Amino acid sequence: MTRRSRWDHETRRRIADAASYVAMILIALFFLTPLLWLLSLALRTRQEVFLGASRFIPKHPTLDNFAMILSSNEFLLYLWNGLKLSSLSAFGCLIVAAPAAYAFSRYWFTGKSAWMMGILAFQMISPLVLMVPLYRYMTSLGLVDTHFGVTMVYIAVSVPMCTWLLKGFIDGIPIALEEAAQIDGCSRFGVFWRITLPLASPGLASAFILTVILGWSQFLVPFLLLTKNSLLPIGVAIFNYAGQSNASTTQLLAAACLVAVVPAIIVFVALQRLIVGALTAGAVKG
Amino acid sequence: MTIQAATLSRTSARPEREAFGRRVSRSPYPWLLPVALVLGLFYLYPLIDVFRFAFTNASLLGRDEHYTLASIEGILANPDLPGIFRVTFIFTAASVVGQQVFGLLIAMLLVRGEQRRLYGVSALRAIILIAWVVPGIANGIIWQLLFSEAPFGAINSLLRNIGIPPVAWLSDPGNAMWSAIISNIWRGTAFSMIVLYAALKSIDPTYYEAAEVDGAGSWQKFRFITLPQMRTALLVNSILITIQTINTFDAIISLTGGGPGRATEVLSLFTFYTVFRNYDLAGGSVLSVLMLLTSLGLALVYAFFLPRRERAE
Repeated sequence: MTRRSRWDHETRRRIADAASYVAMILIALFFLTPLLWLLSLALRTRQEVFLGASRFIPKHPTLDNFAMILSSNEFLLYLWNGLKLSSLSAFGCLIVAAPAAYAFSRYWFTGKSAWMMGILAFQMISPLVLMVPLYRYMTSLGLVDTHFGVTMVYIAVSVPMCTWLLKGFIDGIPIALEEAAQIDGCSRFGVFWRITLPLASPGLASAFILTVILGWSQFLVPFLLLTKNSLLPIGVAIFNYAGQSNASTTQLLAAACLVAVVPAIIVFVALQRLIVGALTAGAVKG
Repeated sequence: MTIQAATLSRTSARPEREAFGRRVSRSPYPWLLPVALVLGLFYLYPLIDVFRFAFTNASLLGRDEHYTLASIEGILANPDLPGIFRVTFIFTAASVVGQQVFGLLIAMLLVRGEQRRLYGVSALRAIILIAWVVPGIANGIIWQLLFSEAPFGAINSLLRNIGIPPVAWLSDPGNAMWSAIISNIWRGTAFSMIVLYAALKSIDPTYYEAAEVDGAGSWQKFRFITLPQMRTALLVNSILITIQTINTFDAIISLTGGGPGRATEVLSLFTFYTVFRNYDLAGGSVLSVLMLLTSLGLALVYAFFLPRRERAE
C-alpha cells in the first residue's frame, strides 16, 4: 500500500465519522424534540404557551402546572392504579410464564415447537380483536370494574413474550448445576425453585420490567373493563383529560402527559442495559 | 407366608409409585398448565366467541339476540369499508417501510459508531428507546402539540418565525395521514432498531474482511453481505411490526380521532368506533374477525418468503 492511498483511506474514514456524527445529531433531535417540546409547554404559564416556538425555553418557567396536576387526589390515584395494575400483572406473568419457560428449555416432548409457536401466535392477536366477547364474558364472571379482571387480561396479553424471553434465559444456564442438585436428591420442582430461578434472576428482572412498561401503556383493556373513575389507570385518565382539555389548558395537558410518560422513562433509562440485553438476546434466537 | 406376601407387595408397590412419581415429574404438562389456563380462559375462549358473535345481531341496545348473517352482510356492504381499507393500507405500508428503513439505518449507524468508538452511541440508543416507552395515547397527544395549528404548535410556530406560512398538518386530509405516519414511525422505530441491531451484530465479520480483500466498496458490502444476511431478521421484523401497526389505534385516536372526515380512520379505529360509538357488538365482531384474517394473511405472506431452514424451525 502506498503512503498516499493510506492517507486517502484515513481521510475517508474521518469524513465518514463526521457524517456519522451529523446523522446521530439529526436522529437524536428527531427523537428528543417532541419530548422537549412537551416539557417546554408544561413549564410555561398560560400566556407563554401562546408564544409558540419563540419561547422554547420559557422566560418565566413555572412548576404550577405540575403542582396543579399532582395536587388533585384523582391524578395520584390514577398513577397508583397504573402502577398497581402493571406491577401486579408483571408479577403474575412471571408466575405463569416461568414454569412454562422451564419446561420448554429443559424437557423434550413431542409437539414442543407446536406449543411454543402456539403461544407465540397469541402475541399476534390484539386485545382489540377480543373486546366484544371479553366484555360480555367478564360481565358474566362479575369481573368488570375489578382490578383483578384487568390484571388477568394483562397477564394473558404479555405472557407469550415473557415465556419466550425466559426460555432464552434458562437456555443459557448450564444444565450441570441442575443435574448435580438432582443427584443430591432434589425434586424437579426443587431444582427449578432453588437452582434455576435464582440463576435466572436477571432474566426474571428484565421480563418483569418489560411487562410493567407494556402494562403501563395499556389503553384498550382498562378502557373496556373499567367504568368507575376511581379505578382508572393513568393511560385511560390522560385520554379522558385530553378530551376535556382546550387551548387554554394546553400547559396542564402537557404536564399531565409528562406525568404519565416520565415514570416509564425513568424506569427504562435506569434499567436500560438489562432490558436491551434481554430484547437482543430474544431477537437473535427468535 | 403372610409376611412374605406383605414384603412382596411392598417391594412391588414401591417401584410402581416411584415410577408414577417420576412419570409426573418427567411430564412437561404440569409446567404448562398455568400458561394454558390463563391463555385459554382470557384469550382463546373470547377468541372463539368472537366468531360466534359475528353471526349474531348483538348490540348494547337491542335485547333479543339471534343468529343471523345480517351483521356480516351489513359490514361488508358498508360503503365506507373500501375507504377504511385504503387508509389502513397506506398507514400500515408507510409505517412498516419507514420503521424498517429508518431502523436499519440507525442500527447500522450504531454498529459503525461502536466499531469506530464514536462518542454518544449509547446515549443515542437510549434516546430512541425512550420514544418506544411512551404510551400510545400520550404519543398522540405529544404529536398533536407539535403539529397543532394553534399558536402552541411547535412546527407551525417555528415555520411562522422563519417566514413560511403554516401547514395544515392535521386538518388537511392528505397531510393528516402523513402526520399520523410520522408519529407512528417516531414511536415504532426503536423496536426495529433493536431487532436489526442484534441481527447486524450476529453477522460473521469474516465476510466483510473477505469482501474487503476482494476490493468491495461499501455499497457492494451492504448489497451482497448485509442485506442477504439480514433477510430473516427483516422478514420476521416485518411480520411483527405489520401486526403491531394494524392494531394501532390509540396513537391515532388521540392525534386525529380518525379525522379530518375519515382520512385517518384505520380499520382498528373503525372497529373501536363501531363498538364504542355505535354500540354495534356484532358489527364490531365482524370487523375483529376481518382484522384477524388480515393480520394472519399478511403473516403467512411474509412467512412464505422466509428461507426454508428457518421455516422448518
